[in-house]
This record gives sequence, structure tokens and C-alpha cells, in this order.
Amino acid sequence: MATREVFEHEPVSHPVAHYLVTVSELLEEYGYARVSDVARRIGITRGSASITLKSLRQKGLVTEDGRRFLGLSETGGRIAESVLAKRRIMKDLMVRVLGVSEDQAKKDTCEIEHLLSSETAKRAKLLLDFVDSDSKASLEFKRNFDRFAKKRG
Amino acid sequence: MSNQDSLRTLNEIFAEEVEACIRYLHMAVTIKGIDRLVLQPELLEAMNETLDHARIVAEKLLEMGGVPSLDLRIQLPGEMTTGRDAVRNSVEFERGALGAYQELMENAEGDVRLEEFARAQVALESEHLAHFKLLLED
Repeated sequence: MATREVFEHEPVSHPVAHYLVTVSELLEEYGYARVSDVARRIGITRGSASITLKSLRQKGLVTEDGRRFLGLSETGGRIAESVLAKRRIMKDLMVRVLGVSEDQAKKDTCEIEHLLSSETAKRAKLLLDFVDSDSKASLEFKRNFDRFAKKRG
Repeated sequence: MSNQDSLRTLNEIFAEEVEACIRYLHMAVTIKGIDRLVLQPELLEAMNETLDHARIVAEKLLEMGGVPSLDLRIQLPGEMTTGRDAVRNSVEFERGALGAYQELMENAEGDVRLEEFARAQVALESEHLAHFKLLLED
């Protein structure tokens, strides 16, 4: 899928992004997702998960079959995919370029992944590609940045 | 199901019941319109029942060597509720509690007392759920 299509989605709130990504991850890992799985993964009660998932069903983002197994609609799936792509990029950027610890990067990414514009995500991806290119310029950039960061403490 | 698993499931159910109790209270005081007359007593009764269930689950936890713990993440908006929304929400969290007791029952194999306890609670929660579903019918 083209970069543009992956990154673009309607703005969603943090909880909505969290639920969609959780359903997507569960489907990927186990092949199914139930209310109880979502609740356990997020760390809330089934009652709370059930109420939020009901509103996501009404918004056409989540689906549920007769046996109460959850799925993502086309729009829901696109949003989850976009948020996950931004998460990967920002986490990579924080850890590999900025030198932030994995744990901190995970926390920070969770806070911003759903708010990030496609423009910023694309530029961040470009920067990562540049760093990964191992060209003379990218190696120099990394070396200079590390040296500068060290000096500043 | 190991004792640790049973304790974890019981703690989850404890949280379901306490949270449902808070939600019933919130809906009972925020319900608006003519539905308030009929549904408020109904919701308050449900609140008392879930509180009672929470206490029973907590006792069960203690009996099995655990200590009840709670980590609730609940935000209830400062908005009035319609009768229909209150009943719809009740169906959702009664379903949540029923699912949790069903899981406990399915995994309690070999522990007759725990299985019997879960079975009795499944029967009660099923009744609650059926009752609220009936209220949603036209």
C-alpha cells in the first residue's frame, strides 16, 4: 500500500485508537478477538469494554458476529493500520535516532500516535530511510549528532 | 484452572460488580424524563444487587486465600441519561459480568464449590440480562 494511503485516516480520540489497535493486534496474534480479550489487554472491565465497543459498532468501525467475535470494518481496519504504522515509525525514530529508551519510546508513542498528521509521519519515515541508507551523509549525520548529544550531556 | 487463575478471575469479577454498581448509581441519579419514575427504582435495586454480588465475590476470594484488589478506570460523563440508553448500557455490562462468571464456571472443573458458586451466579446474571433485554423491546 502506498505511504499516503497507510498514513491517512480520520482524526480519532486516544481511546478509539487504542480499541481499534487492540482488536487488530488480537486478530493478528490469535485470529479472533472477544470483548473479554480486549478488556484484559487494555486492563479494564468487560462491562467498560462492552460499552465502548458498542459505540464503535454504532460508528461502523467494529463488527461483531452472532457468536460475539469482533472484527474491524474497512474504515476501522484502515485507522488501526494507520495508527500502527505511525507507532512503528515514531518508536523507531525515538529509539534509533533520538536515543530514547525502548520503554520511554513506547509510552511516548502511545500518547501521540493517533494525533500525528500524515505529513509528519511521512517526514519522519523519510528521516529514518535517510539514516538507514548508510550513505556517507547519513553516517556523518549520525556521528555528528551522537557527538553533539554527548557534548551537551 | 490453578488457584492463581481462579483468584485472578474472581478479582476481575469483583471489579465487574463494583464498577457495575457505580454505573447503576450514576444512571439512577442522571436518568431524565418520564422514564425516571419507572427506571430509577429499578436501577437502584440493580445497584444494591451488584453491590451484594461484589461482597459475595470478595468473600469467595478471601475464602480461597486471596485478597480483593481493585484497579478501576472509569469515567462517567456529567450528562443526563435517557431511559433507553440506561437500559442499553445495563445490557452491555450485565453481559460482561455474565461472560466473566461463565468463564469461571467453565474453568472451575474439579473445584466443585467454585463451580457451584459460578453456576449460581451465571443463573442470576442470566436473569438480570434477560430482564433488561425485555425492557428494550417495543
